[in-house]
Amino acid sequence: MSEKTTPSNSGDSRRSILTWFSAAALAGSAAISALANFIFMKPRATYGQPSRYSIGRPDDFPSGTRVSIDQRRVCVVREGPKLAVISTICTHLGCTVGVSDTGFACPCHGSRYDQDGNVVGGPAPKSLTWYQVSLAPNGELEVDTNAPVDQGTYYTI
Amino acid sequence: MKLALAIASAIILLVHGLVFYDQFFHKWERHQNAYFDQARTQARNDAERKELANREPKIEQIIVTQFGENRVDRCTTCHLAIDDPRFKDHFEPLKTHPYSAALGDYQRNGRWERRHKFTDFGCTVCHDGQGRGLETDYAHGNDEHWNDPLTGYVTQANWRKDFTPHLKGKEYMEANCAQCHTEDNFAGTPHVNRGRQLFFGSNCYGCHKIEGLSEGTLAPELSEAGHKFKVDYLWESIVEPRANLATSFMPKFNLSDDDVKSLVIFLKSRRGVNYAETSLARYRTRLTPAKEITPESMTGKTASQLADAVARGKQLFEDRACAACHKLGDTDGGIAPDLTLEGRMKDHDWLREHFRTPRSRVPDSIMPAFRFSDADFDALTAYLSSRQETPKIPADGAEMFKMLCSRCHGEKGDGLGPNAIYLDPAPRDLTKASFMNNKPEERFTLAIKEGVAGTSMPSWGKVLSDDQIKTVYQFVQTGLVKSPRRPLKEHANVPVSNPTPYSADSVARGEAIYLKRCTGCHGLKADGKGPNSLDIVPRPRNLRNQWFIGALGDYRAMASILYGIQGTAMPSWIDYGLTVKDASDLLNYIRSLNPAPKAVGNKTVAQLAPGVH
Repeated sequence: MSEKTTPSNSGDSRRSILTWFSAAALAGSAAISALANFIFMKPRATYGQPSRYSIGRPDDFPSGTRVSIDQRRVCVVREGPKLAVISTICTHLGCTVGVSDTGFACPCHGSRYDQDGNVVGGPAPKSLTWYQVSLAPNGELEVDTNAPVDQGTYYTI
Repeated sequence: MKLALAIASAIILLVHGLVFYDQFFHKWERHQNAYFDQARTQARNDAERKELANREPKIEQIIVTQFGENRVDRCTTCHLAIDDPRFKDHFEPLKTHPYSAALGDYQRNGRWERRHKFTDFGCTVCHDGQGRGLETDYAHGNDEHWNDPLTGYVTQANWRKDFTPHLKGKEYMEANCAQCHTEDNFAGTPHVNRGRQLFFGSNCYGCHKIEGLSEGTLAPELSEAGHKFKVDYLWESIVEPRANLATSFMPKFNLSDDDVKSLVIFLKSRRGVNYAETSLARYRTRLTPAKEITPESMTGKTASQLADAVARGKQLFEDRACAACHKLGDTDGGIAPDLTLEGRMKDHDWLREHFRTPRSRVPDSIMPAFRFSDADFDALTAYLSSRQETPKIPADGAEMFKMLCSRCHGEKGDGLGPNAIYLDPAPRDLTKASFMNNKPEERFTLAIKEGVAGTSMPSWGKVLSDDQIKTVYQFVQTGLVKSPRRPLKEHANVPVSNPTPYSADSVARGEAIYLKRCTGCHGLKADGKGPNSLDIVPRPRNLRNQWFIGALGDYRAMASILYGIQGTAMPSWIDYGLTVKDASDLLNYIRSLNPAPKAVGNKTVAQLAPGVH
């Protein structure tokens, strides 16, 4: 019997190592699979126009420009070397606001904003958003609508 | 047991790990990080550096809404530097898209400006490929199931090896330029322009329809060829028409490789849509009728004008690839009749009218009606009429048959010559004794001499002497029929001419009998294409072939109805209860289907082809 106990002892320990190893491997697989699910919390790509886009060269916007780009729903404002891009999405119910002499005016419910996008009348609860502007390597201005900036933050050309 | 479990778990862990790695650590992230690193070293100020430091790899996409269906192009996820001029000497994928004056890019203040901005056009509008793909193989369309691989750059693995070298090159992208630049002579698309010229020049348009360009009905429509077929298929179909469809009778055009390439690019540009066109504009172009060709008259020709016309006709004959179907001299397309002696056997009016509308002279001809100008028709007619050569006719009947008849009737005379399947009515099987021995000999010699109106059998009398005709007929009768003639049965009760006068009553009675007895084979339209016709050889006669019916004598018609035609499926109707009166009503009905024999020149139809009475 003693002949058998020795191998059976070593067999036991080998077995338990293998058991632990298997358990660890399976737990690892399960953990990876579980973790992998978290990737789906956030979409990898969204449909709709990209948030970073080019609006053209600085030369396209001479000083004194206040021009609305309707497809992108932004307004480009330039004063001398200072340039800013202001959203034209009304903060009330999302209509596209029009550019007027005094600032912005919403055609839907009559919200009014001043030239910097501050609310001066109507139901709008917040001022219009300003977006970050940067110069892309190809010499065109790039707007990032995912990066709102404080009012009065100008890009200097 | 435990060991096996441990190994299995290890494998599971490994597989999970690999899948996890493959799914969440992408190649494009490495490309983007490399771009950020390199851009940072080249940044000019801190703001730029800071901005780059804030950027993280993400799927970049351009959503293109202006060209056809909305496109999602994610190519810039790897090719992040296409619009960054600092990367012009890098390797792909981080390389600047080249600027090219040919694409309309221009320089302003020393900087290149793009004519086609990527934010508006995306990538796949010009390059094809799979815009949404994020892995190289899929994005570039290497996969054989993707219809539009990167044009001019990617050839798929299952394409024929002998064609693939021809299918690379950026000129293939012209097909995509032509989606918007549809002008006939747009300078940026020389291959498309050349292909369009070839499409008309080689007479492709005669058989193939392309909406807005041509109206052919013989061959498959190509309006959306660029959408349906890959370039390798297009190339193969032009070079070897029978490679995909063994029964195709499209001729081999023997074009040079450059010409084939131009045609492929032109066809690839046919997608049935024009991206630059709104749906309203497209609707309007459909409403406007096709351009009419203004007739030019060639009356009162002088000798030198005639010589010009002949030279021009010869040129046209070669340029328009007539010999792709027809035979002339040594070139043989193997589809359509031999034109070597056509000038001698057909008169000027026949040729000209037949050119303008082939079916006006041979009603079941498959020859397309080409849209040449009247002057060109005149020139072609003048050219064929000018060819009045006298062939060397062998004295021996067998040799004569081989030289003149075997192209249609077959070397064995069985009516299965090389081009027989394209002729309708088909050439007669001259070996069938039951037919050959039951018709008077004069009928055959006359058919040879005068031709058979409304068919492809020409009037050999213009080339052969009566003795020669007799010789070749003797050869047919003794060498091909192989069973001796017996005396013909006389049908005494068949009147020599139609005893019932032509009247509405008689036609109505004839129609009733026709609908009851004849439509199974001759068809409801009397065009010889009834439901049984496909099982019958020779095919039932087209009873609306006005030239044939016009030349058909009353006696022969009524004898055929009453006593059948031996050697064909036409039964002897007198055995099924039809009387002479019924047959004469039927004949009146058949005559009523055809316009009264018209005068051509100053001859009537019957005078033109009296041989088959």
